[in-house]
Amino acid sequence: MMQTLASAQPDILQKLIFGETPAPSEAAAWSDGLFLMITWFSIFFFVLLMGLMVYFTIKYRRRPGVPAQPSPHHNLLLEIFWTVVPSSSLIVMFVLGFQGYTSKVVSPDNAMELKIQGSKWSWIATYPNGATSPETQALSRVVDNENHTVIEGKQYPIFYLPENTDVKLRMMSTDVIHAFWIPEYRTKMDVIPNRYTGFGFRTPILTPGDTYVHRETGEVMPGRDMWVFCAEYCGDDHSRMAATIRIVPQEVYDQKMADWSVKLSPIDAGIKIWTQLCKTCHETDGTRLVGPAWNSFKNADGEFGFGYDALLEDGSSVIRDANYYRESILDPNAKIVKGFAPAMPSYQGQLSEEDIDNLIVFIQSLSDRNPNAGQDAGDAEEAGSDTEAGSDS
Amino acid sequence: MSTLEANAGHHHDEGSYFDGPPGMMARIWQWSTTVDHKKIGVMYLVAVLFMFFLGGMAAIGVRYELLDPIRTQTTEFVNAAGDIETVTVTTGESLKELMGGMFGEGVSGSQIYNRVFTLHGAIMVFMFIIPAIPAALGNFLLPIMLGAKDVAFPRLNLLSWYIYVVGCLFGVLSILLGGVDTGWTFYTPYSTTTDADHWRVVLMVMAAFILGFSSILTGLNFVVTVHKLRAPGMGWFDMPLMIWALYATAIIQVLATPVVGITLLLLIFERVMHIGIFDPSLGGDPVLYQHFFWFYSHPVVYVMILPGMGIISEVIAVNARKHIFGYRAIAFSSLGIAGVSFLVWGHHIFTAMGELAAILFSGLTFLVAIPTAIKMFNWVATLYKGSIVINTAMTYGLMFLFTFSIGGLTGLPLATLATDLHLHDSYYVVAHFHYTMMGGTVIAFMAGLHHWWPKMFGKMYSEKGAMLGAALVFIGFNLTFFTQFFLGTQGMPRRYANYVDEFQTLHQISSAGSLILLVGFLVHLFVFVQSLLSGDKAPANPWGGLTLEWETESPPIEHNFHKEPILKHGPYDFETTVPPHWDPKDYPLPENAGKH
Amino acid sequence: MTMIDTDTSGVPARILKSPMHWRNAKHQSHWRSGDEEFDAAKFGMWLFLSTEVLLFAGIFCGYAVFRMLYPEAWANGSHSLDWRMGAANTAILLFSSWTAANAVRLCQLDKQFWFKINILITILCAIAFVAIKFTFEYGIKLPEGKAPGTFFSYPYATDPHEPLWWSLYYIGTGIHAFHVIIGAFLFAFVLWRAHRYQAYGPTQYTLVENSALYWHIVDLIWIFLFPLLYLIH
Repeated sequence: MMQTLASAQPDILQKLIFGETPAPSEAAAWSDGLFLMITWFSIFFFVLLMGLMVYFTIKYRRRPGVPAQPSPHHNLLLEIFWTVVPSSSLIVMFVLGFQGYTSKVVSPDNAMELKIQGSKWSWIATYPNGATSPETQALSRVVDNENHTVIEGKQYPIFYLPENTDVKLRMMSTDVIHAFWIPEYRTKMDVIPNRYTGFGFRTPILTPGDTYVHRETGEVMPGRDMWVFCAEYCGDDHSRMAATIRIVPQEVYDQKMADWSVKLSPIDAGIKIWTQLCKTCHETDGTRLVGPAWNSFKNADGEFGFGYDALLEDGSSVIRDANYYRESILDPNAKIVKGFAPAMPSYQGQLSEEDIDNLIVFIQSLSDRNPNAGQDAGDAEEAGSDTEAGSDS
Repeated sequence: MSTLEANAGHHHDEGSYFDGPPGMMARIWQWSTTVDHKKIGVMYLVAVLFMFFLGGMAAIGVRYELLDPIRTQTTEFVNAAGDIETVTVTTGESLKELMGGMFGEGVSGSQIYNRVFTLHGAIMVFMFIIPAIPAALGNFLLPIMLGAKDVAFPRLNLLSWYIYVVGCLFGVLSILLGGVDTGWTFYTPYSTTTDADHWRVVLMVMAAFILGFSSILTGLNFVVTVHKLRAPGMGWFDMPLMIWALYATAIIQVLATPVVGITLLLLIFERVMHIGIFDPSLGGDPVLYQHFFWFYSHPVVYVMILPGMGIISEVIAVNARKHIFGYRAIAFSSLGIAGVSFLVWGHHIFTAMGELAAILFSGLTFLVAIPTAIKMFNWVATLYKGSIVINTAMTYGLMFLFTFSIGGLTGLPLATLATDLHLHDSYYVVAHFHYTMMGGTVIAFMAGLHHWWPKMFGKMYSEKGAMLGAALVFIGFNLTFFTQFFLGTQGMPRRYANYVDEFQTLHQISSAGSLILLVGFLVHLFVFVQSLLSGDKAPANPWGGLTLEWETESPPIEHNFHKEPILKHGPYDFETTVPPHWDPKDYPLPENAGKH
Repeated sequence: MTMIDTDTSGVPARILKSPMHWRNAKHQSHWRSGDEEFDAAKFGMWLFLSTEVLLFAGIFCGYAVFRMLYPEAWANGSHSLDWRMGAANTAILLFSSWTAANAVRLCQLDKQFWFKINILITILCAIAFVAIKFTFEYGIKLPEGKAPGTFFSYPYATDPHEPLWWSLYYIGTGIHAFHVIIGAFLFAFVLWRAHRYQAYGPTQYTLVENSALYWHIVDLIWIFLFPLLYLIH
């Protein structure tokens, strides 16, 4: 019944309420149907009440010298009627809502498990084979071919998922409470620091209309993008804590999994961690975000970048060496660079020693005082031992 | 009529409660030490209106920021030399450009936005909506409507006002120091860790804690007053529905506020001393905070709306000249709402609790809808066969039926678990609670303010001006918040300064609406100021009400009544009683009056 | 109001004529009678006390939740409290509740001297309670490192969640001790007014009654705190 209300061909009301794209799963379509049912119920009672109100107000408007006409002060039958009828509809809503909830939260035992880690202010998804996604795309992208300009917003990670598969999310936060919301699946769940939460969904079968544009090549590829937003307020960049879920054909997904489990060079591994965790607050091109940028440059606040002295809040200065960066990652508030707020959370326990190494190699590479600059790139790659992609702690 | 004639002979005895000793300082001293519930009510009114102004400006700030999303964008372009160049700029930081200096250096646009919406929420909830109707209008009206000279504990009442002011000062101090970014709900562990080396958050939590005391004392005062100080002849079911509503409200205030008191105290300890109750790294539970917090804050939603419902019962009955339909049903539904309100806090945390608890709370939540629906039907039925006059108060009363039924009905998908998983913490929720809190409480507050303004200040206001204000408020309100339902269902989360492009049009419509809303309230302000300065003298009973406050002068004398009033008729016996101070010739009673 | 015939010989005229003296006390003008005012004050006090109970209910609730989650930490914490100190304090509070009740009765009978003596004993009991709490309990535990939350530094703790137990212990007993101190000040005020003006007597004892009610609730809350913290392992 619910699906007939929210059919594959969205009607006007459904389009108005939920947008053009049809719901990607049965459970989502069912929940839309329930919402539309409640909406029709509400419209009926609203029109009834307002109709009567307007009708009475006009019909019985005050005329000089005409008294109000007597009428009963109460009517038990009528009052019982208008208590029982809406109440029984509420019971229907409750039962349907509870069924729909179960179908959204529970997933089959053989569902693929995707681990989600929320931290201020980014999402990391870890696949069953331990890989994480290095790909990103912007929330907004304007391409002007005539003037050869591309305007792009912040980059957010893309989580690839195969089509027509049951997926189960196992989520945990490393700091404050977040919430993982996939609006297209009409489901969200809080991501809490001391326990796992999660929900499940089935990815849709791709239709010929489901395409996305490849960022670099501009190719039109089969797939369907869905936004993920953080829905529980979590601080400064709460509104930039997003991600994309991209549903792709099974072959494409398999290929991605194969690519991502390849070992990365330290710099690439560092870049990957930076995109996943650090990029929200640290740019690499001198732009000031919540935290200082990592490349080497000079401005009114002092010198920046590896090998340069950092001017601290208390007026002293300290050289930015590997230990400085290590401390800043594990105990960020120990040394605060002048002009910046102590806003960074500690990554103690989240990043392995190896992750930190790789990150520092990357930071070094951004400076004109890069100690590794003389070395052959090949050496550096060899030096990087087994880099388990991303962090999973 | 009964007391009117008896009172006539005493007129020279006492002046209005506004009269006082000559001299500015003497007047200030008189007001600041007064135990007269009317003066205290007026002082509350001034204070809450000031807070409403502050919170309203924060709201305008929020809408201003959301005209366009805050974005850090990189632009790649081919420069004159033919190389690809990259430039990074942050756009859309409207508030930062406007008033960044207020928040100190190095504060980003998002951080400013977070502080501004937190201030909007904290001020509106703790300092405006909770005290607005009970403490301001309630203080003024409760004893007069009961036929009493004052509330049960007048000195305690003054103390409540001072505690309220101290609480507000803490809040304002926190704002002046730069504001807080926790959200008005102070969710842990964010609230215990953000801005770690600063006292601002503690000050704001202290403010809420102190305001809780004020709320408890006012509630306690009202409960005892209703029990002990009713006029002779006034049984429980002879009380005006406004009193029933205030009574139910007061019970919630007394029973729910202590829990948030201890919760906020624990939060302060947690923040200052890291005791660990809500800190997961020490084994504490951050969701426990949410349970504690909503155990108070859900019932408090009804502290906000119940008095509004009381006002609507009065305004509709008086201006339709009809006995309220189903008096007992309305009275009991007030108590029913108060009772059930303690059992439904879990629906604020559906997405953070286990399946079983979620299902239980969903079921209980639907229970709250029933008494509210009953009231809606009763109010509309009261209009039947009435003699309805459309003045500003009645306009607001009918507007309440419109906006509040939207607010109530849009709550249904939130109580329904399956749909709530989508709508929770989205703009749909924002729209829903603004339709109930603003479309309910604030609209009812405006209805009450216009209804009792002549009684409180002894002056009439310009009906035309007030109607213009009401029209602007209606249009602006619906434009601002109806759009937000669609934002929510389409996927816009709450508390976002940055959003995807497709939401921009709806956000801009919403922001335009908020400007109309602002103009509407400014019109009202102008009308009220003009009324105080040069309004006509108000008659004792301008609307023809039958409750006791209309039997005394406008404004009332110091001791409310010249002689203790004795109740001769019910509050809604319009069909059998000529209202006090009215001429029977101008107020024909229906034939067959009283025979049904 | 009927005048109670009690012995006024030996009371200086200065006190007898004082408007503060219980015989001269008038009810506030918005009340119909002093009896109604008394009833209302008592009713208001009961409402206030219900808010006190609810305040502590929050702490008990937190206690229950974490006890369920970390029974080990709770057992360890409970074991390291000295039940004898708790029992002594329980006895002190129970006794002081009795003297407070006595004081009300004696006040109603206009036995001014014994009334004041009973109030004084109640105050002394409150002081003894707080002294035991601070010196023999907090004073011993804190230097050992058994402090709340992150201040916890007791080296022999066996369960990682013991800091949480100590947090709840200090908050629960601390807020209770704060209430005891408030009670002591309340009774001190009563005592001063009784001594200075003979402000309380058979027709005017609202504050005495309400203070005693408050004291009984403080006592009652301790009756719950004591077994929960000290006895149940």
